[in-house]
Amino acid sequence: MQASRARLFKEYKEVQREKTADPDIQLVCDDSNIFKWTALIKGPSETPFDGGVFQLAFSVPEHYPLQPPQVRFLTKIFHPNVHFKTGEICLDILKTAWSPAWTLQSVCRAIIALMAHPEPDSPLNCDSGNLLRSGDVRGYQSMARMYTRLAAMPKKG
Amino acid sequence: MENESSAPNSHDSICPICLGPFIQPSYLDHCLHQFCFNCILRWIKVVSGKHYHTPPPSSSVKCPLCKTDNFSIIHGVDGTCFQRHYINTNLQDDCFVLSRAHRYRLQCYYTQQGCVEDIFNVLQYWKSRKYNQQNNWLQTWLRREIQALTQEEDVDIIVHHIFGVVKTSWTGEQKSHIKEPEKKQEEFMMSVSEAARPFLGARTDRFVYEIQLFLASGLNIEAYDAVYIQRLGWSSPGENTEVSQNELVDRTTVIPYLYIFDDDSDGTE
Repeated sequence: MQASRARLFKEYKEVQREKTADPDIQLVCDDSNIFKWTALIKGPSETPFDGGVFQLAFSVPEHYPLQPPQVRFLTKIFHPNVHFKTGEICLDILKTAWSPAWTLQSVCRAIIALMAHPEPDSPLNCDSGNLLRSGDVRGYQSMARMYTRLAAMPKKG
Repeated sequence: MENESSAPNSHDSICPICLGPFIQPSYLDHCLHQFCFNCILRWIKVVSGKHYHTPPPSSSVKCPLCKTDNFSIIHGVDGTCFQRHYINTNLQDDCFVLSRAHRYRLQCYYTQQGCVEDIFNVLQYWKSRKYNQQNNWLQTWLRREIQALTQEEDVDIIVHHIFGVVKTSWTGEQKSHIKEPEKKQEEFMMSVSEAARPFLGARTDRFVYEIQLFLASGLNIEAYDAVYIQRLGWSSPGENTEVSQNELVDRTTVIPYLYIFDDDSDGTE
Protein backbone atom coordinates (compact mmCIF):
# COMPACT_ATOMS: atom_id res chain seq x y z
CA MET A 1 0.00 0.00 0.00
CA GLN A 2 2.78 2.39 1.00
CA ALA A 3 4.79 1.49 -2.10
CA SER A 4 1.88 2.07 -4.44
CA ARG A 5 1.05 5.38 -2.78
CA ALA A 6 4.66 6.54 -3.07
CA ARG A 7 4.84 5.54 -6.68
CA LEU A 8 1.52 7.21 -7.56
CA PHE A 9 2.73 10.35 -5.87
CA LYS A 10 5.83 10.29 -8.08
CA GLU A 11 3.65 9.85 -11.13
CA TYR A 12 1.48 12.73 -9.94
CA LYS A 13 4.51 15.00 -9.67
CA GLU A 14 5.75 13.89 -13.08
CA VAL A 15 2.36 14.68 -14.61
CA GLN A 16 2.40 18.13 -12.99
CA ARG A 17 5.91 18.78 -14.22
CA GLU A 18 5.35 17.73 -17.81
CA LYS A 19 1.81 18.86 -18.31
CA THR A 20 2.57 20.09 -21.77
CA ALA A 21 4.80 17.19 -22.81
CA ASP A 22 1.98 15.21 -24.39
CA PRO A 23 -0.86 17.46 -25.51
CA ASP A 24 -3.03 14.44 -26.39
CA ILE A 25 -3.23 13.24 -22.80
CA GLN A 26 -4.54 15.04 -19.75
CA LEU A 27 -4.25 12.97 -16.58
CA VAL A 28 -6.02 14.14 -13.44
CA CYS A 29 -5.89 12.60 -10.01
CA ASP A 30 -9.00 12.51 -7.85
CA ASP A 31 -8.81 15.26 -5.21
CA SER A 32 -9.38 12.96 -2.27
CA ASN A 33 -8.15 9.58 -3.48
CA ILE A 34 -4.81 9.02 -5.16
CA PHE A 35 -5.99 5.58 -6.33
CA LYS A 36 -8.62 7.11 -8.60
CA TRP A 37 -7.59 8.95 -11.74
CA THR A 38 -9.30 10.17 -14.85
CA ALA A 39 -7.74 10.95 -18.19
CA LEU A 40 -8.89 12.88 -21.21
CA ILE A 41 -7.32 11.61 -24.41
CA LYS A 42 -7.66 13.01 -27.90
CA GLY A 43 -8.76 10.66 -30.64
CA PRO A 44 -5.80 10.07 -32.96
CA SER A 45 -5.84 11.84 -36.28
CA GLU A 46 -6.65 9.93 -39.47
CA THR A 47 -8.99 7.68 -37.50
CA PRO A 48 -12.75 7.88 -37.03
CA PHE A 49 -12.01 9.14 -33.51
CA ASP A 50 -10.24 12.29 -34.76
CA GLY A 51 -11.61 15.41 -33.13
CA GLY A 52 -13.13 13.55 -30.22
CA VAL A 53 -12.06 13.77 -26.60
CA PHE A 54 -12.47 10.53 -24.66
CA GLN A 55 -12.62 10.19 -20.92
CA LEU A 56 -10.95 7.23 -19.20
CA ALA A 57 -11.40 6.13 -15.59
CA PHE A 58 -8.47 4.57 -13.78
CA SER A 59 -8.82 2.47 -10.68
CA VAL A 60 -5.42 1.67 -9.25
CA PRO A 61 -5.02 -1.52 -7.17
CA GLU A 62 -3.16 -1.44 -3.87
CA HIS A 63 -0.33 -3.58 -5.24
CA TYR A 64 0.30 -1.23 -8.13
CA PRO A 65 2.67 -1.22 -10.02
CA LEU A 66 2.97 -4.96 -9.51
CA GLN A 67 -0.62 -5.21 -10.68
CA PRO A 68 -2.03 -3.25 -13.63
CA PRO A 69 -4.52 -0.43 -13.12
CA GLN A 70 -8.11 -1.05 -14.19
CA VAL A 71 -9.04 1.29 -17.00
CA ARG A 72 -12.29 1.82 -18.82
CA PHE A 73 -13.78 4.31 -21.21
CA LEU A 74 -16.35 6.63 -19.64
CA THR A 75 -17.06 8.12 -23.04
CA LYS A 76 -19.01 5.88 -25.37
CA ILE A 77 -16.85 4.57 -28.20
CA PHE A 78 -17.43 2.21 -31.10
CA HIS A 79 -14.27 0.13 -31.21
CA PRO A 80 -13.77 -3.65 -31.53
CA ASN A 81 -11.71 -3.87 -28.33
CA VAL A 82 -13.89 -1.72 -26.10
CA HIS A 83 -17.09 -3.00 -24.55
CA PHE A 84 -19.89 -0.80 -25.85
CA LYS A 85 -21.82 -0.71 -22.59
CA THR A 86 -19.21 -0.92 -19.83
CA GLY A 87 -16.26 0.73 -21.56
CA GLU A 88 -14.03 -2.20 -20.60
CA ILE A 89 -10.84 -2.36 -22.68
CA CYS A 90 -9.26 -5.52 -24.08
CA LEU A 91 -5.57 -4.74 -24.13
CA ASP A 92 -2.81 -7.22 -23.30
CA ILE A 93 -0.72 -4.79 -21.30
CA LEU A 94 -3.63 -4.26 -18.94
CA LYS A 95 -3.78 -7.99 -18.28
CA THR A 96 -1.15 -10.65 -18.98
CA ALA A 97 1.50 -8.47 -20.58
CA TRP A 98 1.53 -5.89 -17.81
CA SER A 99 4.94 -4.66 -16.71
CA PRO A 100 5.59 -2.51 -13.64
CA ALA A 101 7.60 -0.18 -15.82
CA TRP A 102 4.40 1.10 -17.40
CA THR A 103 2.91 4.27 -15.95
CA LEU A 104 -0.60 5.69 -16.12
CA GLN A 105 0.70 8.09 -18.73
CA SER A 106 2.14 5.33 -20.89
CA VAL A 107 -1.03 3.27 -20.51
CA CYS A 108 -2.89 6.25 -22.01
CA ARG A 109 -0.46 6.24 -24.90
CA ALA A 110 -1.05 2.52 -25.42
CA ILE A 111 -4.80 3.10 -25.47
CA ILE A 112 -4.41 5.84 -28.08
CA ALA A 113 -2.37 3.38 -30.14
CA LEU A 114 -5.11 0.79 -29.73
CA MET A 115 -7.68 3.29 -31.00
CA ALA A 116 -5.64 3.75 -34.17
CA HIS A 117 -4.96 0.04 -34.58
CA PRO A 118 -7.95 -2.07 -33.57
CA GLU A 119 -7.58 -5.81 -33.14
CA PRO A 120 -10.82 -7.24 -34.58
CA ASP A 121 -9.79 -10.81 -33.74
CA SER A 122 -10.23 -10.36 -30.01
CA PRO A 123 -13.37 -8.26 -29.93
CA LEU A 124 -15.34 -7.02 -26.95
CA ASN A 125 -17.67 -5.25 -29.35
CA CYS A 126 -18.65 -7.95 -31.83
CA ASP A 127 -20.60 -5.66 -34.15
CA SER A 128 -17.59 -3.45 -34.57
CA GLY A 129 -15.22 -6.42 -34.87
CA ASN A 130 -17.43 -8.14 -37.45
CA LEU A 131 -17.53 -5.06 -39.67
CA LEU A 132 -13.74 -5.02 -39.80
CA ARG A 133 -13.41 -8.78 -40.11
CA SER A 134 -15.79 -8.85 -43.03
CA GLY A 135 -13.74 -6.12 -44.68
CA ASP A 136 -16.31 -3.37 -44.35
CA VAL A 137 -13.87 -0.67 -43.34
CA ARG A 138 -16.21 2.08 -44.54
CA GLY A 139 -19.04 0.75 -42.47
CA TYR A 140 -16.83 0.54 -39.40
CA GLN A 141 -15.45 4.02 -39.89
CA SER A 142 -18.80 5.67 -40.37
CA MET A 143 -20.25 3.98 -37.30
CA ALA A 144 -17.24 4.90 -35.23
CA ARG A 145 -17.29 8.47 -36.52
CA MET A 146 -20.97 8.81 -35.73
CA TYR A 147 -20.43 7.73 -32.13
CA THR A 148 -17.43 10.02 -31.85
CA ARG A 149 -19.67 12.94 -32.90
CA LEU A 150 -22.45 11.87 -30.62
CA ALA A 151 -20.45 11.16 -27.51
CA ALA A 152 -16.97 12.62 -27.74
CA MET A 153 -17.47 16.05 -29.20
CA PRO A 154 -18.96 19.15 -27.63
CA LYS A 155 -22.62 19.51 -28.49
CA LYS A 156 -23.18 22.16 -31.15
CA GLY A 157 -25.47 25.10 -30.69
CA MET B 1 -3.18 -6.36 -29.13
CA GLU B 2 -1.30 -3.15 -29.28
CA ASN B 3 2.00 -2.98 -27.57
CA GLU B 4 3.74 -0.45 -29.68
CA SER B 5 5.48 1.91 -27.41
CA SER B 6 8.01 0.07 -25.33
CA ALA B 7 7.47 0.45 -21.61
CA PRO B 8 8.78 3.91 -21.10
CA ASN B 9 11.18 5.45 -18.75
CA SER B 10 13.77 7.76 -20.07
CA HIS B 11 15.37 8.52 -16.73
CA ASP B 12 18.61 6.76 -15.97
CA SER B 13 18.84 7.51 -12.30
CA ILE B 14 15.48 6.25 -11.09
CA CYS B 15 14.12 2.75 -10.72
CA PRO B 16 11.49 2.01 -13.37
CA ILE B 17 9.37 0.14 -10.83
CA CYS B 18 9.15 2.52 -7.86
CA LEU B 19 10.16 5.62 -9.86
CA GLY B 20 12.41 6.56 -6.94
CA PRO B 21 16.19 6.67 -6.64
CA PHE B 22 17.81 3.23 -6.68
CA ILE B 23 17.95 1.44 -3.34
CA GLN B 24 20.47 -1.41 -3.50
CA PRO B 25 20.94 -1.04 -7.25
CA SER B 26 20.64 -4.39 -9.01
CA TYR B 27 20.93 -5.59 -12.56
CA LEU B 28 19.29 -8.40 -14.48
CA ASP B 29 22.02 -10.69 -15.73
CA HIS B 30 21.27 -10.66 -19.46
CA CYS B 31 19.88 -7.27 -20.40
CA LEU B 32 21.60 -5.46 -17.49
CA HIS B 33 18.63 -3.20 -16.88
CA GLN B 34 18.78 -1.63 -13.45
CA PHE B 35 16.22 -1.79 -10.63
CA CYS B 36 16.10 -1.56 -6.85
CA PHE B 37 16.83 -5.01 -5.45
CA ASN B 38 13.55 -5.20 -3.56
CA CYS B 39 11.50 -3.83 -6.46
CA ILE B 40 12.67 -6.46 -8.93
CA LEU B 41 12.44 -9.17 -6.30
CA ARG B 42 8.83 -8.29 -5.54
CA TRP B 43 8.01 -8.28 -9.23
CA ILE B 44 9.58 -11.72 -9.67
CA LYS B 45 7.48 -13.02 -6.80
CA VAL B 46 4.32 -11.66 -8.42
CA VAL B 47 5.19 -13.19 -11.78
CA SER B 48 6.14 -16.57 -10.39
CA GLY B 49 3.02 -16.62 -8.22
CA LYS B 50 0.81 -16.54 -11.29
CA HIS B 51 1.66 -19.98 -12.69
CA TYR B 52 0.54 -18.90 -16.12
CA HIS B 53 2.39 -21.37 -18.27
CA THR B 54 4.18 -23.93 -16.19
CA PRO B 55 3.18 -25.15 -12.74
CA PRO B 56 6.69 -24.92 -11.25
CA PRO B 57 7.78 -21.29 -11.07
CA SER B 58 9.98 -20.43 -13.97
CA SER B 59 13.63 -19.93 -13.19
CA SER B 60 13.73 -16.95 -15.48
CA VAL B 61 12.00 -13.60 -15.50
CA LYS B 62 11.23 -11.28 -18.37
CA CYS B 63 12.73 -7.83 -17.90
CA PRO B 64 9.95 -5.30 -17.20
CA LEU B 65 11.64 -2.93 -19.64
CA CYS B 66 12.71 -5.08 -22.58
CA LYS B 67 11.10 -8.51 -22.02
CA THR B 68 14.46 -10.27 -22.27
CA ASP B 69 14.67 -13.53 -20.30
CA ASN B 70 16.95 -13.24 -17.30
CA PHE B 71 18.04 -15.86 -14.83
CA SER B 72 19.56 -13.96 -11.96
CA ILE B 73 19.85 -10.59 -10.29
CA ILE B 74 23.29 -9.10 -9.91
CA HIS B 75 23.47 -6.94 -6.81
CA GLY B 76 25.80 -5.67 -4.12
CA VAL B 77 28.20 -4.47 -6.80
CA ASP B 78 31.05 -2.69 -5.01
CA GLY B 79 33.55 -2.30 -7.82
CA THR B 80 35.34 -5.57 -7.31
CA CYS B 81 32.70 -8.07 -6.23
CA PHE B 82 29.03 -8.68 -6.62
CA GLN B 83 26.39 -11.03 -5.32
CA ARG B 84 24.02 -13.05 -7.39
CA HIS B 85 20.43 -13.98 -6.68
CA TYR B 86 19.13 -16.80 -8.84
CA ILE B 87 15.49 -16.53 -9.70
CA ASN B 88 13.27 -19.02 -7.88
CA THR B 89 16.12 -21.41 -7.23
CA ASN B 90 15.11 -21.46 -3.58
CA LEU B 91 11.89 -23.14 -4.61
CA GLN B 92 13.57 -25.98 -6.43
CA ASP B 93 14.78 -29.15 -4.78
CA ASP B 94 17.99 -29.45 -6.69
CA CYS B 95 19.28 -26.00 -5.92
CA PHE B 96 22.47 -25.48 -4.00
CA VAL B 97 22.01 -23.80 -0.68
CA LEU B 98 25.09 -22.44 1.01
CA SER B 99 25.71 -24.13 4.32
CA ARG B 100 26.68 -22.11 7.36
CA ALA B 101 30.28 -23.08 6.80
CA HIS B 102 30.08 -21.81 3.22
CA ARG B 103 28.59 -18.57 4.45
CA TYR B 104 31.30 -18.04 6.96
CA ARG B 105 33.91 -18.53 4.28
CA LEU B 106 32.16 -16.10 1.96
CA GLN B 107 31.85 -13.57 4.76
CA CYS B 108 35.58 -13.85 5.42
CA TYR B 109 36.13 -12.36 1.99
CA TYR B 110 34.36 -9.23 3.11
CA THR B 111 36.63 -8.72 6.11
CA GLN B 112 40.02 -7.10 6.29
CA GLN B 113 42.82 -9.38 5.24
CA GLY B 114 45.32 -10.30 7.93
CA CYS B 115 43.44 -11.14 11.10
CA VAL B 116 45.05 -14.56 11.48
CA GLU B 117 48.43 -13.75 9.98
CA ASP B 118 50.16 -13.80 13.34
CA ILE B 119 48.99 -17.37 14.03
CA PHE B 120 49.58 -18.85 10.62
CA ASN B 121 52.91 -17.69 9.32
CA VAL B 122 52.80 -17.85 5.58
CA LEU B 123 56.39 -16.84 5.01
CA GLN B 124 57.59 -19.49 7.43
CA TYR B 125 55.60 -22.01 5.43
CA TRP B 126 57.59 -21.23 2.33
CA LYS B 127 60.93 -20.93 4.13
CA SER B 128 60.67 -24.29 5.80
CA ARG B 129 59.30 -25.86 2.65
CA LYS B 130 56.32 -27.28 4.46
CA TYR B 131 54.67 -27.83 1.13
CA ASN B 132 56.72 -30.99 0.83
CA GLN B 133 54.44 -32.51 3.44
CA GLN B 134 51.22 -33.61 1.94
CA ASN B 135 48.09 -31.72 2.98
CA ASN B 136 45.22 -34.19 2.95
CA TRP B 137 42.53 -31.60 3.43
CA LEU B 138 43.42 -29.19 0.69
CA GLN B 139 41.09 -30.62 -1.92
CA THR B 140 38.10 -30.60 0.42
CA TRP B 141 38.99 -27.11 1.56
CA LEU B 142 39.27 -25.90 -2.03
CA ARG B 143 35.89 -27.35 -2.90
CA ARG B 144 34.12 -25.57 -0.08
CA GLU B 145 35.96 -22.33 -0.75
CA ILE B 146 35.11 -22.33 -4.45
CA GLN B 147 31.51 -23.36 -3.80
CA ALA B 148 31.15 -20.46 -1.42
CA LEU B 149 32.72 -17.98 -3.80
CA THR B 150 30.91 -19.05 -6.94
CA GLN B 151 27.69 -20.00 -5.13
CA GLU B 152 27.58 -23.07 -7.34
CA GLU B 153 27.44 -26.66 -6.17
CA ASP B 154 29.21 -28.44 -8.98
CA VAL B 155 32.72 -27.06 -8.92
CA ASP B 156 34.59 -30.32 -9.55
CA ILE B 157 36.29 -29.07 -12.67
CA ILE B 158 37.52 -25.87 -11.05
CA VAL B 159 38.75 -27.74 -7.97
CA HIS B 160 40.50 -30.31 -10.11
CA HIS B 161 42.12 -27.61 -12.19
CA ILE B 162 43.32 -25.47 -9.30
CA PHE B 163 44.41 -28.45 -7.24
CA GLY B 164 46.45 -29.63 -10.24
CA VAL B 165 48.14 -26.28 -10.58
CA VAL B 166 48.95 -26.21 -6.84
CA LYS B 167 50.48 -29.68 -6.96
CA THR B 168 52.52 -28.88 -10.03
CA SER B 169 53.96 -25.81 -8.41
CA TRP B 170 55.09 -27.96 -5.45
CA THR B 171 56.58 -30.83 -7.40
CA GLY B 172 58.41 -28.38 -9.61
CA GLU B 173 60.41 -27.58 -6.47
CA GLN B 174 62.25 -30.90 -6.52
CA LYS B 175 64.32 -29.87 -9.53
CA SER B 176 65.35 -26.45 -8.38
CA HIS B 177 66.23 -26.44 -4.69
CA ILE B 178 68.19 -23.25 -4.98
CA LYS B 179 65.17 -21.03 -5.35
CA GLU B 180 64.50 -18.44 -2.70
CA PRO B 181 61.37 -19.07 -0.66
CA GLU B 182 60.09 -15.62 -1.68
CA LYS B 183 60.63 -16.48 -5.30
CA LYS B 184 58.92 -19.78 -4.79
CA GLN B 185 55.95 -18.12 -3.14
CA GLU B 186 55.71 -15.56 -5.89
CA GLU B 187 55.63 -18.27 -8.53
CA PHE B 188 52.99 -20.18 -6.62
CA MET B 189 50.82 -17.09 -6.31
CA MET B 190 51.22 -16.28 -9.98
CA SER B 191 50.27 -19.70 -11.27
CA VAL B 192 47.38 -20.23 -8.86
CA SER B 193 45.88 -16.83 -9.49
CA GLU B 194 46.21 -17.38 -13.21
CA ALA B 195 44.32 -20.65 -12.85
CA ALA B 196 41.65 -19.25 -10.54
CA ARG B 197 41.00 -15.85 -12.06
CA PRO B 198 38.67 -16.97 -14.85
CA PHE B 199 36.37 -18.46 -12.21
CA LEU B 200 36.77 -16.18 -9.24
CA GLY B 201 37.35 -12.83 -10.88
CA ALA B 202 38.09 -10.02 -8.49
CA ARG B 203 38.23 -12.36 -5.52
CA THR B 204 41.22 -14.22 -6.93
CA ASP B 205 43.94 -12.39 -5.02
CA ARG B 206 42.24 -12.88 -1.70
CA PHE B 207 41.61 -16.51 -2.59
CA VAL B 208 45.30 -17.10 -3.27
CA TYR B 209 46.08 -15.48 0.06
CA GLU B 210 43.53 -17.65 1.86
CA ILE B 211 44.93 -20.85 0.33
CA GLN B 212 48.35 -20.00 1.70
CA LEU B 213 46.90 -19.30 5.13
CA PHE B 214 45.20 -22.65 5.17
CA LEU B 215 48.31 -24.46 4.00
CA ALA B 216 50.48 -22.59 6.48
CA SER B 217 48.17 -23.52 9.33
CA GLY B 218 48.80 -27.23 8.80
CA LEU B 219 45.43 -27.80 10.44
CA ASN B 220 42.49 -29.82 9.31
CA ILE B 221 39.39 -27.95 8.23
CA GLU B 222 37.49 -28.08 11.55
CA ALA B 223 40.46 -26.89 13.54
CA TYR B 224 41.28 -24.21 11.02
CA ASP B 225 37.70 -22.91 11.02
CA ALA B 226 37.66 -22.85 14.80
CA VAL B 227 40.80 -20.74 15.01
CA TYR B 228 39.74 -18.44 12.20
CA ILE B 229 36.29 -17.83 13.61
CA GLN B 230 37.52 -17.28 17.10
CA ARG B 231 39.95 -14.73 15.82
CA LEU B 232 37.25 -12.95 13.87
CA GLY B 233 35.07 -13.05 16.96
CA TRP B 234 32.09 -14.51 15.17
CA SER B 235 29.88 -17.25 16.43
CA SER B 236 30.73 -20.64 15.09
CA PRO B 237 29.36 -21.99 11.83
CA GLY B 238 29.80 -25.62 12.79
CA GLU B 239 28.47 -27.68 15.64
CA ASN B 240 31.72 -28.62 17.30
CA THR B 241 33.30 -25.21 17.65
CA GLU B 242 31.36 -23.48 20.35
CA VAL B 243 33.09 -20.30 21.30
CA SER B 244 32.04 -18.85 24.59
CA GLN B 245 30.31 -15.53 24.06
CA ASN B 246 31.96 -14.02 27.11
CA GLU B 247 35.38 -14.20 25.53
CA LEU B 248 34.19 -12.07 22.70
CA VAL B 249 32.50 -9.26 24.48
CA ASP B 250 35.27 -6.72 24.48
CA ARG B 251 36.37 -7.48 20.96
CA THR B 252 34.72 -5.39 18.30
CA THR B 253 33.19 -7.67 15.74
CA VAL B 254 31.94 -6.74 12.36
CA ILE B 255 30.11 -9.54 10.62
CA PRO B 256 29.60 -8.59 7.01
CA TYR B 257 25.97 -8.81 6.07
CA LEU B 258 25.30 -10.41 2.70
CA TYR B 259 21.99 -10.00 0.95
CA ILE B 260 21.98 -13.54 -0.38
CA PHE B 261 21.31 -14.71 3.14
CA ASP B 262 17.89 -13.14 2.97
CA ASP B 263 16.72 -16.00 0.80
CA ASP B 264 16.17 -18.32 3.72
CA SER B 265 13.97 -16.08 5.72
CA ASP B 266 11.41 -15.47 3.00
CA GLY B 267 11.61 -18.77 1.20
CA THR B 268 8.05 -19.58 2.11
CA GLU B 269 5.23 -17.38 1.05
